[in-house]
Amino acid sequence: MTDDWIYLDFAASTPVDQRVAELMYECRETGFANPASGHVVGRKSAAIIRNAMAQLEALLNAAPGTLVWTSGATESDNLAIAGGARFRAHRGKHLVTMPTEHKAVTDVFRELEKQGFDVTWLEPGENGRLDPDELARALRADTQLASIMYVNNETGVMQDIAALGSICRERDVLFHVDAAQAVGKVPIDLDVLPIDLLSLTGHKFYGPKGIGALYIANRPGCHVEPILFGGGQQRRIRPGTLPTDLIAGLGLAAEIAASSIEGDLRHLTSLRERLWAGLRDVDGILVNGDLENGFPGILNVSVEDVEGESLLLGLDPVCVATGSACNSKAQEPSYVLRALGRSDRLAESAIRFSLGRSTQKKEVEFAAQRYRETVARLRSLAPKAVA
Amino acid sequence: MSEDPYSPLVREYFARPVHAGDLDDGVAVAVGSQGVRLELSGAVRDGQIQRLRFKAWGCPHLIAACECFCARYEGEPAQSLEGFLATDIMQILPVPVEKTGRILVLEDAVRSLGQRFCGGSVPA
Repeated sequence: MTDDWIYLDFAASTPVDQRVAELMYECRETGFANPASGHVVGRKSAAIIRNAMAQLEALLNAAPGTLVWTSGATESDNLAIAGGARFRAHRGKHLVTMPTEHKAVTDVFRELEKQGFDVTWLEPGENGRLDPDELARALRADTQLASIMYVNNETGVMQDIAALGSICRERDVLFHVDAAQAVGKVPIDLDVLPIDLLSLTGHKFYGPKGIGALYIANRPGCHVEPILFGGGQQRRIRPGTLPTDLIAGLGLAAEIAASSIEGDLRHLTSLRERLWAGLRDVDGILVNGDLENGFPGILNVSVEDVEGESLLLGLDPVCVATGSACNSKAQEPSYVLRALGRSDRLAESAIRFSLGRSTQKKEVEFAAQRYRETVARLRSLAPKAVA
Repeated sequence: MSEDPYSPLVREYFARPVHAGDLDDGVAVAVGSQGVRLELSGAVRDGQIQRLRFKAWGCPHLIAACECFCARYEGEPAQSLEGFLATDIMQILPVPVEKTGRILVLEDAVRSLGQRFCGGSVPA
């Protein structure tokens, strides 16, 4: 809590952990050389990267050699979906996903549709969850890839990744998981979960921006075609000179997460309960998503008969996200919330509170109080007549 | 990249709309379109606007525009309402051009109020 703002937008980005920042700064001295260079300074950079890889593998219990560095989750999603679909295109061109995925996923599928792929868009239930039977029914003989996110970035809804992945594995369908909101926040064991491709990014779990990774399971038929071409680094799957300092930062963030994930979850669960306790009595308030099956760091609520943009400004200085792409130039209700059956007006009033490791009890209490006051004030400003 | 879509004046009027409310002894008009709802009420004496109040359901720019209008037109001749232009308020605050439609709802309400004042149904 600062004097100027209360940051409750951790799903958008997290602050870099101080220990991570210090290591990255140090790396500018010790790891500046190109890690592909064979000389002694280059080998120092390569060693830093190997260490970071081991840290990330440990967090995910991923087998050695299964991770590829990328610039972040958007690139990982593109590489997994476009690269995976193209790799298996000779077998079939049917793909499966959901309209509630992040744009970094949905826009890739829309692009693939233009290129002749056939995409089935599976609708979620009202709680945002995908029924595994729905996925099973959607798979066809020519289905090659399905992509379902782990934790929804707007609602926090968590899918049953184990069940969905098992269905894909039985049918030899590549299963991609956008885990940008999950890695470092919920336990993920890639030795157990039937996931073929998994996207992650550093800045969602107290690491730096501009660095992410794609997990590619080491099993027959699981591979991606590159979408970038160049120097042949990373087994030609993702070429380009590796940013040693960013990778070192992500690695340390992963190590810190591995040791703090259970405590973080308890902390977030307690905070969300407190936040919801402060909001639940507001007349007309609705939870978007599923508290029972949701990541505890996210609480997304809509409220009846309150204008969304005014609600967002009224919450100032609480930094949250709105359910709409809300700025002065564009106001579109969230496509994720519309897919959950919310009306345009309710979707426009949605506020996503996302909590983090440093969030304090007094901050969520302040946020809840400000929300209640703002809703009451805006309702008192409104004419009684219904337009 | 995002810039602050609200000027300090918009923030001030939105946070402290001292003219929010309605008048028991005034003339009131209500309009609703462009996804907003608006009520204006006012009282005049000897052809001069004594008090103005508003109620609004809409974005911060609309609420600020209503407050700005009320603050500027109290004490002015009732006749002046009929010449009210939304573009004037949009320049003062300012309001982004893509929200013109909403502020035109205010213009409709103001002109309607002006017609009520000057049409003979003005409270003493």
